[in-house]
Amino acid sequence: MRKLFIFVVLLSCLPFFGAQAQERGLTIDLANDRVDITAGFTGAHLALFGVKNGPGQVAVVIRGPEKTMLVRRKESALGIWFNKRSLKFRKVPVYYDYALSVPESKLATPETLKKNGIGLNALKFDPDTWRDKPEYAQSFQEALIRNKQAEGLFPLKPRRINFLDDNFFRASFYVPSNVPTGEYEVQSFLIRDGAVVDVRTTALNVGQAGLEAKIYKFAYGQSLAYGLLCVLIAVIAGWSANAIRLRT
Amino acid sequence: MQIYLPIAEMTVPVESILLLGTFVGFLSGVFGVGGGFLTTPFLIFMGIPPAVAVGTQANQLVAASVSGVMGHWRKGNVDIQIGTVMLIGGLLGSLVGVFVFKLLQMLGQIDFMISFLYVVFLGSVGLMMLLESIFSFFKKKTVRSEFNSQKLSPFFMALPYKMRFPRSKLYISALVPAAIGFVGGLMVAIMGIGGGFLLVPAMIYILGMPTLLVAGTSLFQIIFTTAFATLMHAVANHTVDAVLAILLIVGGVIGAQVGVKLSRMITGAHARIVLAIMVLIVCIQLGGQLVVRPDELYSTVIR
Repeated sequence: MRKLFIFVVLLSCLPFFGAQAQERGLTIDLANDRVDITAGFTGAHLALFGVKNGPGQVAVVIRGPEKTMLVRRKESALGIWFNKRSLKFRKVPVYYDYALSVPESKLATPETLKKNGIGLNALKFDPDTWRDKPEYAQSFQEALIRNKQAEGLFPLKPRRINFLDDNFFRASFYVPSNVPTGEYEVQSFLIRDGAVVDVRTTALNVGQAGLEAKIYKFAYGQSLAYGLLCVLIAVIAGWSANAIRLRT
Repeated sequence: MQIYLPIAEMTVPVESILLLGTFVGFLSGVFGVGGGFLTTPFLIFMGIPPAVAVGTQANQLVAASVSGVMGHWRKGNVDIQIGTVMLIGGLLGSLVGVFVFKLLQMLGQIDFMISFLYVVFLGSVGLMMLLESIFSFFKKKTVRSEFNSQKLSPFFMALPYKMRFPRSKLYISALVPAAIGFVGGLMVAIMGIGGGFLLVPAMIYILGMPTLLVAGTSLFQIIFTTAFATLMHAVANHTVDAVLAILLIVGGVIGAQVGVKLSRMITGAHARIVLAIMVLIVCIQLGGQLVVRPDELYSTVIR
């Protein structure tokens, strides 16, 4: 928390430091700073608008909250396939997507991209065992990315950033209906001659809203009362179904 | 129309859930089976997490068994005494079942175990039903109805805690019905089925209960085991999705009305053959997933 506070303070001072050396590099705005998951939620489009000052390329990264992921591998025994070996990865973002104005190779060196967390290759994977056997962990790590891509929560390739004129740009994202809830972070980078010259960070809240949110909160907050209510509804429904049948 | 399920945390088409509920309700109207054996695998095929499918299905079964028991209750075909003894075993069974479920989930074997148990149970029941109905179809002779004269095997007779059950005209150890109830409770909690297809033959062949009382009594105890399993799943695992349950229940109510009307037009042997084939298809589908090499060997869950 304290670190975050210092980070935020530093970040808010950034334009002032920057102003002395050069003009403000990037100005960005998310069209919506929250994604509401309601009853009819089928995914959401996200638009980020920005203006860059001066030359350079732009990259935008969306990152979900970090969780521990457990990857399991099925193996065959006596002709039946079931989960056997598993590997845990700490601090993997539950959602990741990114948009670039030029292909990765033209943007910066792999090291720079990795340092700034731009691109799938830049994700850090921290397996809790087998650090001594990296090639083994590698196959699980690749599988994790594959699984997340299949769910639509990791990108297959970067999205394009569209320039509306020389400096005004738009990045469009799409979050699928199975998007995990939580506090997301949107980072925008201005990259000039292979070096990051400005970073802007915005928060994005992804959460259930309306009736769905109430049900979720009820189920987790007062689980006994929730369970009792579920049973009561079922008893009434079953009883009235029978009553209807008798009358007809 | 798509609807977001708050506990499953995913979007599903309303129509397909309603249709599933209706179809299962229809089956229960025609055949008098609970239909949980079809709902749970189907929900899992749709991509709903197995834990949510089982927990929610237990909730759906409360409605189905309440509605089913009422007719038997009015005719006085419920042996409350033996039902209560079974229920004690049943509650214990679902308590153990919920925790076994949680353990299997932690070990990453829950999907495998659900599929495996379904294949074993559906395979044996489906095959038995198919053989029996084909047999009775060709013989045209009605099946044996003198179950009551069945004597308990010496092993069951020797057990302690003997009780008198006047309604069923039985003098047996309370441990036997309690044990049957226990297995039923386990099935409710782990597989999301009422277990009627196992309880009914066990009550007839092992307990020697009068056939007339069996259906009502098993439904009577299933109400309470499913209600208890719903509570346990809701409290211990947070896997009861109220939105999904209501959709299934509504579909079930509609389907049952149609099914009951249609059941008067269908003959027993035909209907049983159709049901047996359906059970076997689900069994083969689930079994195939266990033995065929999956396209993706790896799976990822959030811990």
